[in-house]
Amino acid sequence: MRRLVLSDDSEFGRKYRYAFVFVVVVFLILVGRLVQLQVVYGAEYRELSRSNFLQQISLEAPRGLILDRRGNVLVKNRVAYNVFITPRFFNAKAFRKLQDLIQIPQVDLDYIQSKILLAEGRKRGFSLLALRDVPKEWVLILESNRDHMPGLDISTQEKRQYPNGPMASHVLGFVGEVAAEDLARHPLEGYRERDWIGKYGLELKLEASLRGRRGSLWRVRDARGRVKTGPDALRWLPRPFHVPPQPGYNVVTTLDADVQRAVELVMAPFESGSAVLMEVDTGKIVSYVSKPAYDPNELSGRLTSVRASELYNHPLHPMLDKVVQGTYFPGSTYKVVSAIAAIEENLAEFEEYHLCKGWYEYGRSSSFRCTHAHGLMNLESGIVSSCNVYFYMLSERVGMDRMARYARLLGFGTPPGLELNHEKSGFIPTKQWYAQKYQEGFRIGHTLNSGIGQGDVKASILQVAQAYAAIANRGSVMQPQIVERITDYRGVTVQELAPVVKRRLDFKPETWDLLSRALDGVVNNPEGTAYKSRLAHLRVAGKTGTAQVRAMRREPGQDPEESRWRNQDHAWFVGYSPVDRPQVVVVVLVEHGGFASKMSVAPAMAILDEYFKINGAREGATP
Amino acid sequence: MFEPEGRFYLRIDWTLLLLIVSITGLGLLNLYSTSTSFSAPLFTQQIYWIFLGFSAFFITATIDYRFYDRVANVLYILGIISLVAVLVLGRMFFGSRRWLNIGPLVIQPSELMKIIIILTMAHYVHVSPPKTDEGRSLQELVVPAFLVGLPALLILIQPDLGTMMILLLVFFSIMFLLKMRIRSLLTLAGSALVLLPLIWTFVLQEYQKSRILVFLDPASDPTGEGWHIRQSMFAIGSGQLWGKGFMAGTQSQYQFLPAQWSDFPFAVWAEEWGLLGSVLLCSLYFVLVTWALRMAVTTRDRFASVICLGVGALYFWHTIINIGMVMGLLPIVGVTLPLFSHGGSSMLTFMIAAGLLMSVSARRHTL
Repeated sequence: MRRLVLSDDSEFGRKYRYAFVFVVVVFLILVGRLVQLQVVYGAEYRELSRSNFLQQISLEAPRGLILDRRGNVLVKNRVAYNVFITPRFFNAKAFRKLQDLIQIPQVDLDYIQSKILLAEGRKRGFSLLALRDVPKEWVLILESNRDHMPGLDISTQEKRQYPNGPMASHVLGFVGEVAAEDLARHPLEGYRERDWIGKYGLELKLEASLRGRRGSLWRVRDARGRVKTGPDALRWLPRPFHVPPQPGYNVVTTLDADVQRAVELVMAPFESGSAVLMEVDTGKIVSYVSKPAYDPNELSGRLTSVRASELYNHPLHPMLDKVVQGTYFPGSTYKVVSAIAAIEENLAEFEEYHLCKGWYEYGRSSSFRCTHAHGLMNLESGIVSSCNVYFYMLSERVGMDRMARYARLLGFGTPPGLELNHEKSGFIPTKQWYAQKYQEGFRIGHTLNSGIGQGDVKASILQVAQAYAAIANRGSVMQPQIVERITDYRGVTVQELAPVVKRRLDFKPETWDLLSRALDGVVNNPEGTAYKSRLAHLRVAGKTGTAQVRAMRREPGQDPEESRWRNQDHAWFVGYSPVDRPQVVVVVLVEHGGFASKMSVAPAMAILDEYFKINGAREGATP
Repeated sequence: MFEPEGRFYLRIDWTLLLLIVSITGLGLLNLYSTSTSFSAPLFTQQIYWIFLGFSAFFITATIDYRFYDRVANVLYILGIISLVAVLVLGRMFFGSRRWLNIGPLVIQPSELMKIIIILTMAHYVHVSPPKTDEGRSLQELVVPAFLVGLPALLILIQPDLGTMMILLLVFFSIMFLLKMRIRSLLTLAGSALVLLPLIWTFVLQEYQKSRILVFLDPASDPTGEGWHIRQSMFAIGSGQLWGKGFMAGTQSQYQFLPAQWSDFPFAVWAEEWGLLGSVLLCSLYFVLVTWALRMAVTTRDRFASVICLGVGALYFWHTIINIGMVMGLLPIVGVTLPLFSHGGSSMLTFMIAAGLLMSVSARRHTL
């Protein structure tokens, strides 16, 4: 073996060592960096590289349906298509292609250009919502051109649909996108931006049942946004990579869609008012109308602020649920309270007569008037003819606080228990309240006004329905019920809601007998205030009422006709049928309807008529 | 005075050959891993280039290196002519003129210039030894500086900053390792320092400046240049100790790596083979570079010595800059990883360079 010749004259000889050390050091730096990246921060980078291609898609749970008692769908879901864009992959060419394919409104174009294409930082890698609820044809066009538009995604979203439009809209309510205050109110319930949340009515009350639970799906996307499938991609997915969503529970209401539809039709001529139809033995609400109504389809979408203020500031208050949130003077429908109190406390004899001269003499004032001079009135005929003078006398005898006690027993002055739309409790005044409120304190005049349901007495139509249902079923104050049961999406019952007796009233049999006779007389006695509107084939008992409207001065520029209408009193009628074995109670309030016997009796009769006709037809159909 | 005209016998340098074959093989394996998810015939192309490259290697190695000494001047002139031709006739691609069509061939003269400049330096050093024992003075550096400066300038005009930089680095490496006066060395280093800010202001294009700025803070712009560096670092880091396995790198398979065949193959490799594979590959380059350095000391003449130095420096700087760049240690410049990157020009250049080494190595044993 020959030795290598070391060329001494190679100028490089002495510096070889330095060069070698330099090379070693540089390579050590490289290796050091490798160790730093792969060992020290390796796990961190492994995670970062995973987050590059792993994408979690949230699978929305379909919201539960709302049904009527017979299974008819009142609220359902439809599919809405939303277009998402990931700015990192969506280049100018793709944007041009998108504009070529579909006619995008200018507003949305501006939004895409300013908020999505120019998005900065981490946001560029996110899939951002560009177009909401696009037509199905667009979806087909976009899907078939997917390859030309990297970074464009179409995803579906369930949207609430109310097939009957404004029908029963105050019961059903509406949904809206989760707002900041909702997130603050339910911080732990996993709400996300753009989720639907119940905002009103049953949608709000039963949000927890209707909502369901979101699922999730992991998928692999490459750098150009293309979804990868196949064994290679599946290997990277976390387990379980697919968690199916749990659909929300369905809510079966006590409403009857057919009856509801008929009732809406009956109420159609009236601009403003409300009606409720309730089973007297169970408190189940069959029909529930508040007018004017809103269209929940409109409110559940994107409402412009102009339209929103239009709805919320409308003079007839479409956004107010007049069944539970509207409180009125109960008027003559309240007379039963002093009648009951008088009999129960032995303060009146059935055969004791009192003369109505057209006014009641009390002090120097003569402002306590009657509609006309009724002549001699007793307890029964006083109710039948709705004589104010008789009830001024009776309520003076019963007294303010005793009257208040019996009113409360019947359910006045407390929330009826439907627990919907912030139900109002109305108001029942007492002596103490007047003493605190007025400097001159309580006066007998307050008692007289309360006796005929004016003054400071306030009640909602649901409270009146509740009280008259108790009279009709002879003593059970039922909690009004709107939800019959809750089922899962297959229809299997999850929760059954039984009727709740709020209170048993142990009144004397003659109390019930007298009320029954007198209320029957209101409709069926020629002297009765509702006699003219009675039905030949259906015997109804009930009571009319007029809620005085405080006179309003005409606004400058206001239509004189409108002003006249606004100063008309509200018309009440509450009735139940059949008289001997009552099934349902109906309450109709026509706002500014004027005299009750003219305006509200006829629709109430029509409602009862429709109810029995529809149910009769069903019984005939199913032996 | 020297020129040992003695006889020698040919002995194949198996270490060198093994290194070349290993690196090329690993590069091919690495390319195969990613090319399957693409429709372009990258893999077959590379095989064709490797075949071409090895032919060039053997031809270069077979010729006695002293022949290159004789033709160095001619090659230099041809090189300069082709660089000028590129500027006049070359086709524009991606904003620069680098390629020249000669019949069916597309050549990149700036790549060949890397080899030519090594030969030119070797020839110059060979014909003009230092005048005093102290070493070379600054005046003696004027000629080689000019010889390098001319092609460097022509390449800069194309513009191809990466290649120009490599040219200068190879030149400086050779100069620093020559016998020089301390004063000359200091002046050289000083002038480099003065040049840097001048290059920043007058030479660098905006996109090049932004690359450097992003390199200093990759998080500043996660979508543009910084995004590339970050993705490359994700790939390397996520390989961890053992790697994700052959053909299982998500960064590469799902195309999160930019230009992964030419500039970023190391990131692909590091992701799939982990620290182990990365250190192995680095070691191959380290051995190759030190092998060339060692050879520079043990050759029989100054011409061969400078060739070894130059080729070693060429491999060294390419490797360091490329790996440093993909690991986020250096700004992104288009510098390939020798014998590992996909691409014909680069393969040919490094095969010829290796052929020069082999030619020297096989002829250093005298009878």
